[in-house]
Amino acid sequence: MTVLILTCEEDVTADMVVVHLNASGVPVVRLDPADLPGAVALSGEYVHGAFRGHLQSAGRLVSISGLRSIWVRRPGIPATRAPDPSDWLTEESSQALYGMLRGSDARWMNHPDAARRARHKPWQLRLAQRCGLPVPATLITSFPQAAREFAERYPDLVVKPVSGAHPQDPPRAVPTSRVAPDTDFSAVAFGPTLLQRRVAKRADIRLTVVGERMLAARKTADEADEVDVRFASADVPWQATEVPPRIATAVGAYLRAAELTYGAFDFAEDADGTWWFLECNQSGQFGFVEVETGQPIARAVADWLASPGTEPSSQVNGASSTVR
Amino acid sequence: MQPFALNYARPAVELEATTPYVYDTGLQLNVTMDGRIAAGDSALLRELGTTTSTAGSKTHFDD
Repeated sequence: MTVLILTCEEDVTADMVVVHLNASGVPVVRLDPADLPGAVALSGEYVHGAFRGHLQSAGRLVSISGLRSIWVRRPGIPATRAPDPSDWLTEESSQALYGMLRGSDARWMNHPDAARRARHKPWQLRLAQRCGLPVPATLITSFPQAAREFAERYPDLVVKPVSGAHPQDPPRAVPTSRVAPDTDFSAVAFGPTLLQRRVAKRADIRLTVVGERMLAARKTADEADEVDVRFASADVPWQATEVPPRIATAVGAYLRAAELTYGAFDFAEDADGTWWFLECNQSGQFGFVEVETGQPIARAVADWLASPGTEPSSQVNGASSTVR
Repeated sequence: MQPFALNYARPAVELEATTPYVYDTGLQLNVTMDGRIAAGDSALLRELGTTTSTAGSKTHFDD
């Protein structure tokens, strides 16, 4: 049985997992949906009540029924590297590839439908609340007056994108940023805005969960640091840390409810040691944590992909098969 | 008419256009110019930042 990895070629984090799978003798086929059609080809037939499907990439041919697991890591958008790409061809290729794969019995990390739902930060915040994770007071609004009133109740605020996406025209980054006390909130009317009570953090926490395994890393912060750890100084290293039992229970509940088998949780640890939930990235990077802490995250991913365990069927309903 | 959050935007920092490794379709791994597996070189990965949480943000939300 083969592990299928959907990712781009330059994804060296995926390499870290492939190395472990190779060492274990587990067959791997790695391909980028961007190369379909072209370097990647597929075929599937539905005849006499049965389905037979195959994928081909770089000379490797794999039966869809022979897949034990599918890892959706950093796949390109289908057909974007085709000889004559178009939106139509992308949708055709996406429907063909992900439609066939959805019909397989393979385990997913993570299933595209669950992944799509899990990307919604407002949904994450509500699920985290329901699972008992501490969530900083948050407002998502396009009413300037609501923003002003929230700022009166919580004078120390940060703003961050609702989607987590970065604008591309021109390319810009929108890090989590502190909002000054006398800020004019008029522009809130021009786009839904996420405001959140700033957690006076003494550390950032990245909790990576792979199946049942939880690996937490901690990075000490100080007031001079950037609010957004992604843009903070790299001088302070990530270090392995223990997961409080209450957090472990809540995170387990979160992932089960979200139907995710992998999640990278970001928390802010305050002076009391409370871990405040910020977000859960269903495909969050882990290479930087492993490189700095030595935690065996790639091995955990490889072990999960290689294991024969069964997962419950997804209850998520997807609206489109295009994975972007 | 600029949305509020974009008042806090800053120019994106692009990763280096070239990396000292290339994808080997036979191995299904990236290898350095002298033939080593890139993923096995922690110092290289740390230096390049290709596994960090801002990598890939252009096309993927989940970093």
